[in-house]
Amino acid sequence: MRRTPTQLETWGVAVAAFVILVVLPGLNAFTPAASALHVSDFTINLYGKYLCYAVFALSVDLLWGYTGLLSLGQALFFSLGGYMMGMHLMRKIGDLGQYHQPIPDFLVFLGWNTLPNFWRPFASFPFALFMTIALPGATALLFGFLAFRSRIRGVYFSILTQAFTYAACLLFFRNDLLMGGNNGFTDFKFLLGYDLRQPATQRALYLCTGLLLLAAYLLCRWLTTIKFGKVQRAIRDSENRVRFSGYATAYFKLFVFVFCAIIAALAGALYVPQVGIINPSEMAPEKSLEAVVWVAVGGRGTLTGPIIGAITVNALKSWATRAYPDLWFIFLGLLFILVVVFLPGGIVSLPGRLRAAWIARRRPPIELPELPLDPAKIEAPAVTERS
Amino acid sequence: MKVFAKLLLIAWFAVALPGGGFAASPAAAGDDAAVRQLLAQAILAGGPAQPRLLGDLAETGSKAAHDVLTAWIRGEVFLAAAPGGARIPVQLEEAPDAGGRTRAIRVDTGRFLLDAAGRELRFTADDLAAADTDLPLRRLIQQTLDRLALAAPTPEARLSAVAKLGYSQKGQYIPVLEHRLPSEPDAGVRRAIREAVALLQLGDADPAVQAAAAQSLARLKDIGALDQLKRLAGDRTLRPPVAAAVKAAINSIEGHITDVNFLGTIFHGISLGSILLVVALGLAITFGLMGVINMAHGEMIAVGAYTCYVVQNLFGSGFVSSITLPFAFHGRPISFGCHLPGLNSAPGTSLYESYFLMALPLSFCTAALAGLVLERLVIRFLYRRPLESLLATWGVSLVMQQGFRMIFGANNVQVDSPHWLLGHFTVNDVLFGYNRVFVIVFAALIVLGTWLLLTRTPLGLFIRAVMQNRDMAACMGVRTKRVNMLTFAFGSGLAGLAGAFLSQIGNVGPSLGQNYIVDCFMTVVVGGVGNLAGTVISAVGIGTADETLQQVLGSPVMGKIIVLSTIILFLQWKPGGLFASRGRGLDD
Repeated sequence: MRRTPTQLETWGVAVAAFVILVVLPGLNAFTPAASALHVSDFTINLYGKYLCYAVFALSVDLLWGYTGLLSLGQALFFSLGGYMMGMHLMRKIGDLGQYHQPIPDFLVFLGWNTLPNFWRPFASFPFALFMTIALPGATALLFGFLAFRSRIRGVYFSILTQAFTYAACLLFFRNDLLMGGNNGFTDFKFLLGYDLRQPATQRALYLCTGLLLLAAYLLCRWLTTIKFGKVQRAIRDSENRVRFSGYATAYFKLFVFVFCAIIAALAGALYVPQVGIINPSEMAPEKSLEAVVWVAVGGRGTLTGPIIGAITVNALKSWATRAYPDLWFIFLGLLFILVVVFLPGGIVSLPGRLRAAWIARRRPPIELPELPLDPAKIEAPAVTERS
Repeated sequence: MKVFAKLLLIAWFAVALPGGGFAASPAAAGDDAAVRQLLAQAILAGGPAQPRLLGDLAETGSKAAHDVLTAWIRGEVFLAAAPGGARIPVQLEEAPDAGGRTRAIRVDTGRFLLDAAGRELRFTADDLAAADTDLPLRRLIQQTLDRLALAAPTPEARLSAVAKLGYSQKGQYIPVLEHRLPSEPDAGVRRAIREAVALLQLGDADPAVQAAAAQSLARLKDIGALDQLKRLAGDRTLRPPVAAAVKAAINSIEGHITDVNFLGTIFHGISLGSILLVVALGLAITFGLMGVINMAHGEMIAVGAYTCYVVQNLFGSGFVSSITLPFAFHGRPISFGCHLPGLNSAPGTSLYESYFLMALPLSFCTAALAGLVLERLVIRFLYRRPLESLLATWGVSLVMQQGFRMIFGANNVQVDSPHWLLGHFTVNDVLFGYNRVFVIVFAALIVLGTWLLLTRTPLGLFIRAVMQNRDMAACMGVRTKRVNMLTFAFGSGLAGLAGAFLSQIGNVGPSLGQNYIVDCFMTVVVGGVGNLAGTVISAVGIGTADETLQQVLGSPVMGKIIVLSTIILFLQWKPGGLFASRGRGLDD
């Protein structure tokens, strides 16, 4: 039975979702540790991290692959989401920190006795969740409005987003921002009353990430199939023609930009409690570029590509940084060069390419019919020399 | 790094300069004989002749006179009986022989004292009578010493002598300084003397003199006087007119300090801007011509800087590096090593100090070669896909950074500045470091050269043709591939040159380029693509703004953030940069 690619994708996603959401956590929870089928807590935690990256990559792809906006500042929104969640988690440490004070340790270290005002509302989880969406969303809205209004695009957009992220990164490195300076936030203890060091809590976070990924995937898939998606791709291919057809392309782009910022921020918010640390190096320019690598390797302009890319590259990274720590960057760089130059469609385009190559090999070359005219008889047009 | 180089330099001076030995050693023939005669006369003379002789000595500025007079005050000048019965002033040599006796050096000739038979006489200090001094004489000698220092042969030595007297807070030096003033040839030293006199007069008992001194300091804008003026301003017993004058002087000097700092910051900013300019010029050319965003441009800077490092080592003890891969082949580790022998010239010799002149063209060539290889291997596939060229070159930059780490180590390496770039000169209290002046001048030359290349050579003509319309240029027979290749190499070479400059100003490490790449892109975007004048203005503007804000805000980070934010807002106003290229086409 031959299936169309869309059907194939649907089946693949369904199977993957089942494995990720049911099989892996089930094996982790219900098999004894000695069993061969057992999935360790470490693996669950690691895959939770990969799934966060996958959501992050999805947001990059929706911008780059579908709208043609190569944002090199997506890590900023990811980290901002992480920071908002981190602030809540810092508040929930309570007085269990090193200094046994009711305020976070780094504030004690900086000489504060009372909580700064903007830290107060973060004790409430709903507020933190709201800020996780609101702050990155508002930042993206402001920046996007300024950028798209003056029709900054293409490479300029990339450079500008990179500069913006770089500036934000420098800002977060400062201690007087009261966001933990270069150490950031760490040493989290509780989330919603559950102990973060318990495997069950980590499993629940893993499940949440899996669900977020599934939801983000489905939402993006819906968004790209309706008319909006068509306008989006039209903007990618020829923005001026879309504008001349009467579409306010700037607002389409602005919507996608803010939407992607929020998705990235949610991924960041789930990333922080699983990894246990957030610091400004997460928003360094190379982090955004790394996310672009995942998308490029997986296959941009598809929705499964970034997910596959994020998981593959990160699994590779986990292995390579342990086995060959010196060579990892060379490896990553070469992989990136090769993919960009020779495999622009990424991993997901590989089966199609191989099949095309296979078909081309099996089929005899097309024989061209004889030319009806004898070239020798064709008269060359007279060329007059001009001095 | 710089301190080390300076130490080397001092060591070199100590070895290389003749006459750097200590006081009591036989002087070379032809040494200021007249001064020595005067010295001997002054020591032997008594009564009214002595002050006159010492006054004459003071004008000579001679080192020998300084040494002998110092010894005289300490009681280390002795009177020996000459064969004819006359008394001869002598100093004793420092190292005694086996019998605890030393040879005597005649003050009047600088030679050893001989007996009638021509043999060297040897004494102990007890054998001889010291040349006596009493308190007034010692004061006189001390004064002579001060005047001697003021008459030293080099202006630098005179300046430091003047400063020493000026800060001594002893009013007795005022006549000494004033005596020197009319005969001083150097304008800078004259100014310093006036400052020192005014500074000393501040301590005068007469309020009128004090007020006049304060006014004089205000006029001279002497930064060194600020502390003393402030101390004086805190004195409650001060008369109102003096207090007012002191206050005015403080205001004037503080205003001057602000001006000096401001000018110094502008100067630093312009020098930073010139480096940015050289880097951005290369980027502007490659980006303007090919639409290729080269994220590895920063690594080209590092290539240039590391070339400097290698050349420096080749002029010194040679360059050694080895890489061991983490794999093994048949159980044997794979490693590459290189050992380039050096010229073994010692730091301080003119050969070693000239390494930078050799390194400059080499860093251009190496970076240009690296650019050429990069263009052939990667970029030529991506001419129609600018966004992807950005990504692929980022991959290249990762590989290159790791390569630097493996070859040169993860830490910063030392590149010494040649000594002719180490010093500085001062204009109106603003410090101009030679290295920064050099960078500015060289950047100006490079801009000129690039402009000439683009407008006056056949290659430049082709480059501009390809810039304007690649397809049309190709139709007219311009070999666009070749032009691309050469232009890319040229742009990379410029980055390499910038790296050579950077090695003189900051540290050289594997991530050197990363610190500049964002600024560099900003410069090109603000200047407008493919426009030399725009790049020049925006580079100098961004460099200066960056440095100024860093100084004003007292934090490097906030300055950078403000500059970046301003640029983002600036692009709202002029999205195409300062000088946007105009065309009727839609770049879709």
